[in-house]
Amino acid sequence: MITVDRLSKTFWIHRKEPGLWGSVKSLVRRRREAKHAVREISFRVDEGEVVGLIGANGAGKTTLVKMLSGIVHPSSGDARVLGHQPWRRADALRRQISLIMGQKAQLWWDLPAADCFLLLREIYRIPRPDFERRLAELTALLEVEDELNVQVRRLSLGERMKMELVAALLHAPRCVFLDEPTIGLDLAAQRAIRDFILDYRRRHQPAMLVTSHYMDDIERLCERILVLRRGRLVYDGSRRAVVERFARSKVVTVHYRGTPTAAALERLERVGRRLHPDGSDAATLRLETPRERVAEAAAAAMELLDVADLSIEEEPLGQVVERLQRARGAQEEEALEEDSLEHELPGDGSVEGDVR
Amino acid sequence: MTPRLFLTAVSLQARKLMSYRVAFWATAIIAFAAELVVAVFLWRAIFEASGEESIGGFTYGGMLLYYVCALLTAKLVYGRERDLSVSEDIYQGHLTRYLIYPVSYGVFKYAEHLGSMVPSLVQVLLFAGAAGFILPLPSDLGITPATVAMALVSILVAGLFVFALRFTVQLVSFWADNVWSLNVMLRFSMEFLGGLMLPLSLFPEVVRQVLAATPFPYIFYVPVTTLLGRVSVAEWLRGLVVTSAWIVVVVLVARWVWARGNRVYSGVGI
Repeated sequence: MITVDRLSKTFWIHRKEPGLWGSVKSLVRRRREAKHAVREISFRVDEGEVVGLIGANGAGKTTLVKMLSGIVHPSSGDARVLGHQPWRRADALRRQISLIMGQKAQLWWDLPAADCFLLLREIYRIPRPDFERRLAELTALLEVEDELNVQVRRLSLGERMKMELVAALLHAPRCVFLDEPTIGLDLAAQRAIRDFILDYRRRHQPAMLVTSHYMDDIERLCERILVLRRGRLVYDGSRRAVVERFARSKVVTVHYRGTPTAAALERLERVGRRLHPDGSDAATLRLETPRERVAEAAAAAMELLDVADLSIEEEPLGQVVERLQRARGAQEEEALEEDSLEHELPGDGSVEGDVR
Repeated sequence: MTPRLFLTAVSLQARKLMSYRVAFWATAIIAFAAELVVAVFLWRAIFEASGEESIGGFTYGGMLLYYVCALLTAKLVYGRERDLSVSEDIYQGHLTRYLIYPVSYGVFKYAEHLGSMVPSLVQVLLFAGAAGFILPLPSDLGITPATVAMALVSILVAGLFVFALRFTVQLVSFWADNVWSLNVMLRFSMEFLGGLMLPLSLFPEVVRQVLAATPFPYIFYVPVTTLLGRVSVAEWLRGLVVTSAWIVVVVLVARWVWARGNRVYSGVGI
């Protein structure tokens, strides 16, 4: 459904020195600098697949999404979405895709959501019965039926985001791009939106590309992830595989009764790093434990504490991805060093397996 | 773009503007009154000082009538939104929505422009009535149902031309950080050479002949003089042909600029 072939985007930005003199100089001559936002990225996404796009700020996620949704023209390379080059903006393609941006309202600010939806019905030429059925269904699922006649700018952030989702899905798109769909929302709203997206995926099987800084989004929504670093794709594969490969520890959480002795705590800290408990619950101990010592840590906890409950979780995905990116960064630097020492081109620095 | 979508966009824009009631009435009344007061004082002084009965083919009352009609024509030609917000769409990234939706940005904006003319029409009718009571206008206005119909057609065509021209100039925002100065220059040129500031009959003959080949006289001067029954049907038709030809030229330029601008659009503000 989506195929991307060595897609690159370079922006040219003007540099201006600070201060009045810098402004005067820039009147005569301005320095132009190339910013490589996306470099030679290739991948494909199939029908029904939800793929997470992860990377730090400036890694190129949003630029990639903008190219695939046809807003931005690439500098080189090719991409096809449902068989079309997206930046040609064929109506046949635009009727089947959707872009949802958490940081940017697409609905008309001064109109009530209901009016925006009517306009979208005309824009997408949605038959009236389909429109009414979908609108009722989507607004009920997101619990925003009562806010339909409120001007969009008067809605809360969470409500507005839900309306954006309704607007983006009214025409039942086959390909959906979600850029930070839960940014700035409270936990309940984040959860509602995630559940909704999962439900939509189950029923309509679209191809979805999701970018988010919230690893919860990625963990709940995506089986497969793409990791970007400085415009390059450094990992394309299953989320589980990256955890298995790059997660070094697990978190053992123990809820206990009574007060443990200092000696017991000291012994436990020998098998894992003690993390501060979440919230104010003092009778909870969280140990970040190397994967090979998890059994030992659990046994020690059972022996030394009056355990009420014990759970073992994977290391947070964010940390794992950070480690993956650091590893990739080290490879790049190593390759550069070798290059300068041996005067040889380092290739693309690929390593075996999923990691590029 | 289907006619239904076009009409929906027109109607939504009209409703949107009328929902801001204070801005809708207060700014319109103040602007109209201020511009008219300036014209009254200025032309009274000029007529008194010159001692002439008629200047550029207008008596004092006729001159005031010209100004009332010109100011109201400008309200229709410009629509309510004077800046079209094309440059704002580009700076702030609102353009993105129109690129994602299967619509033509230019046509959609024109529908919005027409929508903004609807509330202006309501104001024009009320203001024209009020001005007729307050000002010493001539008893024979020269306005007939036929001249009203002809003037409305001229205004609609002039509105499309002005829209296309401002749209094209604002597309420069794809490259320039600020097109405000270009907007001001364009507006000044249209209002001075178009007959909003002064009737063009006051200009030297040679200047008027040059201007006749440009689209400017057909923006304000020709629609107003058509309304006042001072333009023959042949001249009126000639004006429509010239303006239409200029519309074609400007639209072609707009398409060229749009295609290039799109290649550098980065959807900033997202």
